[in-house]
Amino acid sequence: MPMKGRYPIRRTLEYLQKGDIVFKNTVKIMTVNYNTHGELSDGARKFVFFNIPQIQYKNPWVQVMMFKNLTPAPFLKFYLDDGDQVLVDAEGKDHKDISQHVKKILGKSEEVLQAEELARMVHSNPANFGPKKYCLRECMCEVEGQVPCPGLIPLPNEMRGKYKSQMKGTED
Amino acid sequence: MSVKSVSVHAKWIVGKVIGTKMQKTAKVRVTRLVLDQYLLKYYNKRKTYFAHDPLEQCTVGDVVLLKALAERRAKLVTHELAEIVYKVGNVIDPLTGKQVAGSLFRETLTDSMENPAGSLTEKLQELNISAATSEILQKPSEV
Repeated sequence: MPMKGRYPIRRTLEYLQKGDIVFKNTVKIMTVNYNTHGELSDGARKFVFFNIPQIQYKNPWVQVMMFKNLTPAPFLKFYLDDGDQVLVDAEGKDHKDISQHVKKILGKSEEVLQAEELARMVHSNPANFGPKKYCLRECMCEVEGQVPCPGLIPLPNEMRGKYKSQMKGTED
Repeated sequence: MSVKSVSVHAKWIVGKVIGTKMQKTAKVRVTRLVLDQYLLKYYNKRKTYFAHDPLEQCTVGDVVLLKALAERRAKLVTHELAEIVYKVGNVIDPLTGKQVAGSLFRETLTDSMENPAGSLTEKLQELNISAATSEILQKPSEV
């Protein structure tokens, strides 16, 4: 049974995670102005159709807004944190050109992304035990080959403190 | 009581003005794209913000850029008007700087009003010429 809609591949997690534009921390708002008809806006329309979900997935804290049929020429506008605005003309451009241009001016570079990933790996040590949010495992009973959780399967008598203290008491 | 230094998470916001009935305050609707977990598709989710507008320059339907206030001004007012991005009915194309409506350029009236004195006498002469020619044309038709 195939997925519904045209190009339903856009709605897969794998496609969303493959987006390569990660904006720098100063970019707060992204605005796309395009027209619904006309050949000039074709690249901008494809950009909105294919690339916007990827961008929003990778940048959940950036506000993305679309405006249709306001101006004759399509363009992108970015609002940065210090009040600066960046205008990117999209008239007659292909959607791949637009996304590459945007990545070059406002995206984080490969080295920065890899450095951030390294920092994240260093920060989270897989050997630690703790809450699921921060660590892989919570208790040793979750590991295969170790003593199972006494909440599920009662421990053998030799390991139970209660039994041991009872034995000690009845010895003398 | 502790004073909230940064009132909101969002420092800069773009939204559309939906109401201006409050004095010096604009009600702004902001849409953000939110992923539907099952469909994996992005939909617009609305949120209304109140923005301080001291000069009351906003009208309903403007697209507006808001900046977060350093301290919350009132119980609900958390942002202030930074700039009107697109004024309703008077959108200016950022690429050319001209007035625009949809996919057409609006022609401003001032272009036709240049050199009024000189053109009037010329136009009168033109009228005389055209009147003479029309009389000549009419005479053969009457006959």
